[in-house]
Amino acid sequence: MNFSPVHFIAVPLLAAFLIPIIGRFSKEVVKLIPGAVLLYLSYVAISLYPHTLQKPIVEIIAGFKPPFGITLYYGPLAAFLVTMIMIVGFVIWLYSYKFIIREPLEKYYMLFLLVIAGAAGIMITGDIFNMFVFLEITSIAAYSLTAFLRDKDGAEAAFKYLLIGSFSSTFYLIAVMLIYANTGTLNIADIATKMQSVPNQPKIFIMILFMVGFGIESELFPLNGWAPDAYSQAPSPIGGVFGGIVVKASTYAMMRFAFVLFDFRSTFEFILVMGVITMVIAEMSAMRQQQIKRMLAFSSIGQMGLVMIAFGVGTDASVQAALFQIFNHAIIKTLLFLAAGYLVFHSGSKKISALDGLGHNKPITSFFFALGALAIIGLPPFAGFWSKLYILTSTAKGGFLTVIVLILISGIIEAVYYLRVVSRLYFKKDVSKDSVRRTPLSGIVAMGVLAIVIILIGFYPHLILEYIQPAAHDLIDKASYIKFGLLN
Amino acid sequence: MRKVTAIFVLAIFGFYMLSVFLTIPFGEKRDNVGQHYLANTVKETGAVNTVTSIVVSYRGFDTLGEVTVLFLAATGLGAILFDKKGKKRRLQHASLIVRVGAHLLYPLIVLLGAYVFVHGHLTPGGGFQGGAIIATGVLLMFMSYRSFETSHKALIYIESLAGIVFVLAGFSGLIWGQSFLQNVLPLGEPGRLLSAGIIPIIYIAVGFKVGAELTGLLDNLLKTIK
Repeated sequence: MNFSPVHFIAVPLLAAFLIPIIGRFSKEVVKLIPGAVLLYLSYVAISLYPHTLQKPIVEIIAGFKPPFGITLYYGPLAAFLVTMIMIVGFVIWLYSYKFIIREPLEKYYMLFLLVIAGAAGIMITGDIFNMFVFLEITSIAAYSLTAFLRDKDGAEAAFKYLLIGSFSSTFYLIAVMLIYANTGTLNIADIATKMQSVPNQPKIFIMILFMVGFGIESELFPLNGWAPDAYSQAPSPIGGVFGGIVVKASTYAMMRFAFVLFDFRSTFEFILVMGVITMVIAEMSAMRQQQIKRMLAFSSIGQMGLVMIAFGVGTDASVQAALFQIFNHAIIKTLLFLAAGYLVFHSGSKKISALDGLGHNKPITSFFFALGALAIIGLPPFAGFWSKLYILTSTAKGGFLTVIVLILISGIIEAVYYLRVVSRLYFKKDVSKDSVRRTPLSGIVAMGVLAIVIILIGFYPHLILEYIQPAAHDLIDKASYIKFGLLN
Repeated sequence: MRKVTAIFVLAIFGFYMLSVFLTIPFGEKRDNVGQHYLANTVKETGAVNTVTSIVVSYRGFDTLGEVTVLFLAATGLGAILFDKKGKKRRLQHASLIVRVGAHLLYPLIVLLGAYVFVHGHLTPGGGFQGGAIIATGVLLMFMSYRSFETSHKALIYIESLAGIVFVLAGFSGLIWGQSFLQNVLPLGEPGRLLSAGIIPIIYIAVGFKVGAELTGLLDNLLKTIK
């Protein structure tokens, strides 16, 4: 049996169904399963990558040719994103391995695996209804993980997320219904060929429904009210999962639909404007936050706004910059959440003011946080610098000078609130009471891996650009998506 | 003021939505994938129930996903309502008539549920419906007898094994055929109980899984009532 993209779905599902049985015998084995699965899937993703460069892998499910059956479309873009989330997922697993997680452990790991499988499913499916199913898997797992600590705030955050998320799925489902009614098919490539014949009124309505549906999950203003609460109330590793994995999946879906189904100018202008508003408002809100994880959540929203801006410009260079930013955000924000998790744990409080002087007491965790903060601001020797630079240059080439000014102003705001935290870590007197508990080795290794990647890409950006270029072409090239998607 | 604005926005949205929906012609024969399913179901899948052939065969991957969604909902609820000390249901005792009636009906309901999912490829219904019927039977017993308990361990085993059977049925297509979830068994004679390849196997697994999951959900929820 050769590797094929369906492994990204079937293997985690099999593992999640096995966990309850294994959990009856040994909790330790249960803890190892997600790591093994994610490691295996990272390997599958890496070994499939060279094949996607020659020709996207289109896998038929259940032996029915498109458009009658479901197909998976695994091109360079899906390959790039899936590899990214599998590796980030593995690192987060490594971090959670020794992190104190409340019972029931096996349920935590089942939800953790399925949220990643769902996100991978969104990225590889070539069928619009199948995408809905994976959207549901991802979001239901995310709701449960938000409330996993079973406290009052967590329950409130999860309930808010659940209500807003249900809107997202309902809008998406109505849009799918209208698409089927108008085109008579559910295969994305097939829809793309029939979209011309759909009258304008339904087409625009469908687009609005999709934008709202995905806008909620990709944290677009004003639909992102759930995000700060969910990020800050979920267990710390899950903050990394939300920022590094869940958001990326729905952003991917939004972009794929924008480029393949609704490729008219006004869609991109709309995405650009929403991106700018999202970025500016999120960065200003982040400035006002007193809690570290809420601050990171708003910063995450701001970064996604930046990604939207780059996608909205819509040129080849700007799409590459957007994908680069997506990648950087996935590694840097995950590092920040993981480091913040232990900072909160050591200081015993979620407040920023409680972090005074932790840099002396907990040098390693604080160092990783500071490194992540400098990288996300976009200072030169780190990965974040390059993606921001590319976004700025490609936006300038597109001729959006006002947008550039706004990006730079947001960059300054971002620098202020991140450096405020870093200066508290290092230049304040040590007030922490806790010098006994230490960050476990698995946590340090997980953060260290991310930190090394950030620095490595900072010095050698072409390492990652090599993978981004084909991915960007895969996203922009509608004709080849249709051609391969329908197996012609 | 906020309410007025909200109603205004909703009215515009509703009007627009209605006008879009009115453009869809209902009940006409149209050129879509549905026509292909209607014409080729029996030949391609061996199931005489077209809905089942779409749900389990043509779009079986979605069904695997939906089964996972239900599994996630049950898991998530279990995680949120998790309690180390086993709780007891605190319902009132039902009257004698209800208890005797429930006792008589319970096996019949379970039998009906099993019938519905075993015949999923032949008659209306299928795994989800059959499983739900079984869970209503268990609910009836929960409501009538305070002491009626389902084995937690058995539920977990049924749930997990049924899920594993579904995924392995998928992999069997990958191993002995060309694609995941592909039918590798003979289709048989349409209309017979043993026909339609792997559809009955998947639907029996789904029936067990849904029945066990809903039972677990009901058990969990009833125990939280104070």
